[in-house]
Amino acid sequence: MNIIETKKLTKYYGKSLGIKDVDLSVQEGEIFGFIGPNGAGKSTTIRTLLGLIHPSGGSATIFGKDITKFGPEIKEEVGYLPSEVFYYDNMKVIDLLRYSASFYKRDKKQVRKRIGELAEYLDLDLKKKIDDLSYGNKKKVGIIQGLLHEPKLIILDEPTGGLDPLMQQRFFDLLREENKKGATILFSSHILSEVQKLCNRVAIIKDGKIIRVEKISNLIENTHKRIKLDLAGPVDKKVFAGLKGISDFKVVGKSISFLYRGRVNDITKVLAKINLSNMLIEEPDLEEVFLHYYKTDEE
Amino acid sequence: MNIFRRELRAYRVSTIIWVVSFAVMVYMFLMIFTSFTKDIKDSQRLIVNLPAAVRAAFDISIKNFFTIYGFFAYLLSFISLTGAVQAMNLGVGIISKEDSGKTSDFLLTKPISRSKVITSKMLAALSIILITNIIFNISALITARIVVSGNLDIKLFLLLSATLLMVQMFFLALGFLMAVILKKVKSVVAVSLPTVFTFFIIGALGAIIGDDKVRYLSPFKYFDSAYIIDHAGYEVNFLIIETIFVIVAVSLSYLIYIKKDIKAAA
Repeated sequence: MNIIETKKLTKYYGKSLGIKDVDLSVQEGEIFGFIGPNGAGKSTTIRTLLGLIHPSGGSATIFGKDITKFGPEIKEEVGYLPSEVFYYDNMKVIDLLRYSASFYKRDKKQVRKRIGELAEYLDLDLKKKIDDLSYGNKKKVGIIQGLLHEPKLIILDEPTGGLDPLMQQRFFDLLREENKKGATILFSSHILSEVQKLCNRVAIIKDGKIIRVEKISNLIENTHKRIKLDLAGPVDKKVFAGLKGISDFKVVGKSISFLYRGRVNDITKVLAKINLSNMLIEEPDLEEVFLHYYKTDEE
Repeated sequence: MNIFRRELRAYRVSTIIWVVSFAVMVYMFLMIFTSFTKDIKDSQRLIVNLPAAVRAAFDISIKNFFTIYGFFAYLLSFISLTGAVQAMNLGVGIISKEDSGKTSDFLLTKPISRSKVITSKMLAALSIILITNIIFNISALITARIVVSGNLDIKLFLLLSATLLMVQMFFLALGFLMAVILKKVKSVVAVSLPTVFTFFIIGALGAIIGDDKVRYLSPFKYFDSAYIIDHAGYEVNFLIIETIFVIVAVSLSYLIYIKKDIKAAA
């Protein structure tokens, strides 16, 4: 069964386009990535699914129910974490979480227990006032708030900002655990590596349109690496001649920089032949991926 | 129910402050009434010598001013003004705070329909206004009992003091409507104060000019105290106008709030 299904979902803000003809289907039990540069329409899609904004065209269902007709019913089983979390400043964390829990038809004792467990796991002091929390700690409140009712669908809109690497790890572990228990996850991000770490499939959105839906395994094979080399000897371009998947090749003095798309083994064999003084292999940022991969792909 | 409870809690302190100020105002004013009526001749001369325009602006009726009802009505014109501010702050604030505090994302992704959210908020605001009025009426009655030695027409007295409720209902409804119409409410007071004072000034100017039609433009003049004292009732046409306004404003607020796109916080 498809947990989320959108058909030609379209949203205009006045005359400016948010998303156009978005077709998505997220299957039960999936961790589905939703990736694209800022302003591509990720949040617009998510906010439409959540009923925060109203679609201008098309339709969408969650759990097989129409989002415009069954909003409250659907949200009983949805947990949402936005990129920027804002809560009532003068409330204590525990009061906020209990207030949040009071909206769901759940056993009170069990929810309270779960709040306690999650807070302990994420190392969050429940007695503090929201106002006194750091950005990262507010994020933790958001995570607990999104998970306390053990939703069947977890929607995350660029959720990792403000979390330190350790917390991010714990957060991802938590999501994997929820996924194992049966939760479906929609995870939006503009950071490719994040999505790669967590997701099974990914939809790529650009300028309001879905340009591709791929399995992560494909994407990892096809992904680009930005490779920067400092050579000890003179530059010999011929070494790279036999290698496929090289683009944006630049030589400045004794430094070479290029994007590589292909198997890692192939490139390491080539690199082994060169006398290097330094080497850097980086994840290209998303803009670069779009610029060099998807553009050339469309041609 | 949880939203309703939370809102009552959130407005607890401010409501107490408003109620106490009203009670103190009514107590002090009616105490002045005692000393005022002691030397009634001097006081009367003082009032009569005031220019007619000033008397009109301040709602002073020579005939009634020295009765408890007339004096109370005079006090009510001020209490209504402050009460209007309370009601409008409440109406604008209770709805717009989710927007300005960026908590709409939290609240509206909960399993509750928007119409239930706004209903809870409106009912909470209405309850706060009703509580305010009940306490105000009780404290006014008690004070009047202390001040007046003879008979007190309780029905007339309550009819007068209920004009506070009528004015507050108008501004509460107007507050709801403005909260959903305005794109962004940075400061509640910056919306409510100018609105309330504009209506108050229109009403006062109308009274000075002596043009009865201006009364239709200002809710402060819908329930004329002289008329109430003479007829022991409200003017029906204004009662109808107020009712229609409240119904229309509340319905529009509903419709707009339910259809509204919630902007992303950031």
